[in-house]
Amino acid sequence: MSETTTASGQAPAGPPRKRVERLQATNQLGKIIKGYLVRTSMASKLPWKKTAWITAGFPAELCYMFGITPVHPENAACISGSAKISLKLIEYAESLGFSRDLCSYFKTNVGAVGKKVGPAQGGINKPTFLASTNTICDTHVKWFQTQAREFGVPYFQFDTPNAVSGIDDEHMEEYIDYMADQVHEFMDFATKLTGKKLTEKRYNEVLEKSARLSDLWQEIYEYRKLVPTPVSFQDTMAAIFPLVILPGLDIGIKFYEALLKDIKARVASNTGAVTKEEEKYRVLFEGIPMWYKISFFHQLANYGAIVTYEPYTFSFGPKKKTGLPMEQMIRELARLIIDTPYNYSVEKRIKYFENVIDEYKINGVILHSNMSCRPSCTGMIDLKNAIQNDKGIPVWLMDCDMDDPRAYAEEPMQNRMESFIELMAANKK
Amino acid sequence: MEKLAYFDSSHDFPEEIAMAAGFTPYKILGDVKERNDPADQYIQNFICPAARSFMTDALTHSSEWAGIVLAHGCDVTHRFYDVWKMHVETPFLYFLYVPMKYGTKSAATFYKKEMQRFIKALETQYGVEITDDKLKEAIVLSNSIKERMQKLSSLRGEKDISNAEYFDACVKSVQMPREDLIGVLDSLLEAWGERAAFPADKKKILLTGSDVTYPEWMDMLDEASMRVVRDDLSIGERSFAVLIPDKQDPLEAIIEYKFTMPRPATKNPPDPRFDYLFKALKDSGIKTVVSQNVKFCEPYAFDSVYLVKALKAKGYNVIQLEREYSPTKDMQIINRLEAFNEMKGETA
Repeated sequence: MSETTTASGQAPAGPPRKRVERLQATNQLGKIIKGYLVRTSMASKLPWKKTAWITAGFPAELCYMFGITPVHPENAACISGSAKISLKLIEYAESLGFSRDLCSYFKTNVGAVGKKVGPAQGGINKPTFLASTNTICDTHVKWFQTQAREFGVPYFQFDTPNAVSGIDDEHMEEYIDYMADQVHEFMDFATKLTGKKLTEKRYNEVLEKSARLSDLWQEIYEYRKLVPTPVSFQDTMAAIFPLVILPGLDIGIKFYEALLKDIKARVASNTGAVTKEEEKYRVLFEGIPMWYKISFFHQLANYGAIVTYEPYTFSFGPKKKTGLPMEQMIRELARLIIDTPYNYSVEKRIKYFENVIDEYKINGVILHSNMSCRPSCTGMIDLKNAIQNDKGIPVWLMDCDMDDPRAYAEEPMQNRMESFIELMAANKK
Repeated sequence: MEKLAYFDSSHDFPEEIAMAAGFTPYKILGDVKERNDPADQYIQNFICPAARSFMTDALTHSSEWAGIVLAHGCDVTHRFYDVWKMHVETPFLYFLYVPMKYGTKSAATFYKKEMQRFIKALETQYGVEITDDKLKEAIVLSNSIKERMQKLSSLRGEKDISNAEYFDACVKSVQMPREDLIGVLDSLLEAWGERAAFPADKKKILLTGSDVTYPEWMDMLDEASMRVVRDDLSIGERSFAVLIPDKQDPLEAIIEYKFTMPRPATKNPPDPRFDYLFKALKDSGIKTVVSQNVKFCEPYAFDSVYLVKALKAKGYNVIQLEREYSPTKDMQIINRLEAFNEMKGETA
């Protein structure tokens, strides 16, 4: 079934299709992803190469420092979702006994491994080891415990204390002490595994490139403040790829430089992802998108609603300090593992969102109440109420799922989208 | 004695610190018979129903408690802290991070600092002094309770003690004033010792999975002719299976205790949880396992697939159930349990 048609084969109701112009440089991404998939596939087959499955929240830089190839099952699950095979893989995992309530990324991964699908469909090979944090969710830990046991390979966990609302600086430093200790433990683990001893030079080299990548990402986000935005979610949802899996390498830097060149050209010619007239509403989208239903964002755009900020994609490129002695750099890395926008406490999240709403001139907010990501959804009702009360803009708490299409029903979704648009329209009068 | 209420997702909260501060540690268990409407104003209904019930409990009863501590167990604990901070009225709301990764030196060091910080917070808030001696006294009392619970627990396999009666004793052990509890447990030991022998028509089972927090579910097991004689639940063996060791430093004793108690599914590495279950089955000679998780309880849902497979490979009879959080008798579950019982004939 095409993603632009309903189950009945009918095109979804709503205004005619409006084209959201993607940046030309975004086309380079296909080649980058293919190259990465080939490299990871090769690495997993060569006995002297080491590969590691990692999750969001785990600094991939730690792998590159040791010459380990990081592989990202969440990213692979996005590929399965976009390729519209995630449901088949999820159902396979459920046939093994995994509950319908468990994370759809996890079940997609179980299905991809079990059914041995190819890399273009989210297939992923057995790694040398697995490593994750619990920064974003405990699910990462349970997922990797399960798969490490299945493969019979080691699993390294960063135990991340939670920076809850109201935590003071002194307490935070204590958390960072613990995380820094674990960075050292990981280094010992990786040294033992690879036989490579990490030098300060190599450490700084990787982190400086990673910091450069983040700086470029932040610059891209600065341009998104413009009206019309030169960059929409249609670009950023895929463009985060280098931040997720290639930080510390040149390839992502070159790609972001190309993106920025295009952006600057758009700004110079006063054009955007859509025209100023077409950009009726600027929308903040919180959460992981529905990878099997990317046309949702095109449907939004058809109403003139352009997603101009996503905490999800922004989270992957925080400002990183460089040029510090190694121990301090380790503490900075430890700080970033704990303190990412995706993991902010509710209090901090409200302040963060309200600043973004002002800075990016947001007219409406969609909060993805994602059944596969319960931790990120807890507190969303308070977030919704605070934004509505403080900023006076509509907020749509959208119940759905990132990789399980059974959670998406076309008609009800369309109705809610129309209501959301109507509220934004009424609010603008 | 005032109650210091706590919400943890297994047996994470160090009760002995609250006892040393002069409080009765009171484990929040919610009320399955009450609707979750108060909590559901703030939390979506696809998030752990037990935790939502705990929040309803806190929203309606916090004035009866001196304060509340949320000790990290699963994702729900720290995410709920933020929401409770906005809506639950209490003079003292504290979040204690309990390491998820057990057994490493860095985790032990960090855990100790977290407990020291918690002690300081209690001392400042309530004007009390929590000395090592007071902590040691609390540990002695805690161990006396654990020893009595161990004895009561062992009677489950010998005498006619219903599942709900055992559950009730476990609830008392985490909610009652601890000094009074000793007498209550001694009376129970005497009474249970005089009970009739284990009924021949009941099957001995081991119960594992999400914590059961209400007696109605235990009654259903009885109705299906099953008696829980071993378990690894927090309202159960997890909270008393091992004693707190005698060490010079009481906080180090608590850390060692936490690292060695029957492990919940919320910790890493996971294998000690399974090892405890395998040993419990071997020691007791039980052949039947009921593994269950309450709807949306992810840690146990993750583990259940491997656990069921591993138990079957070892020759045990095992059934995995997903249950609603409800006091209503679920005939579908009873039917499944009865059918399972009939199919797996032996009564060991």
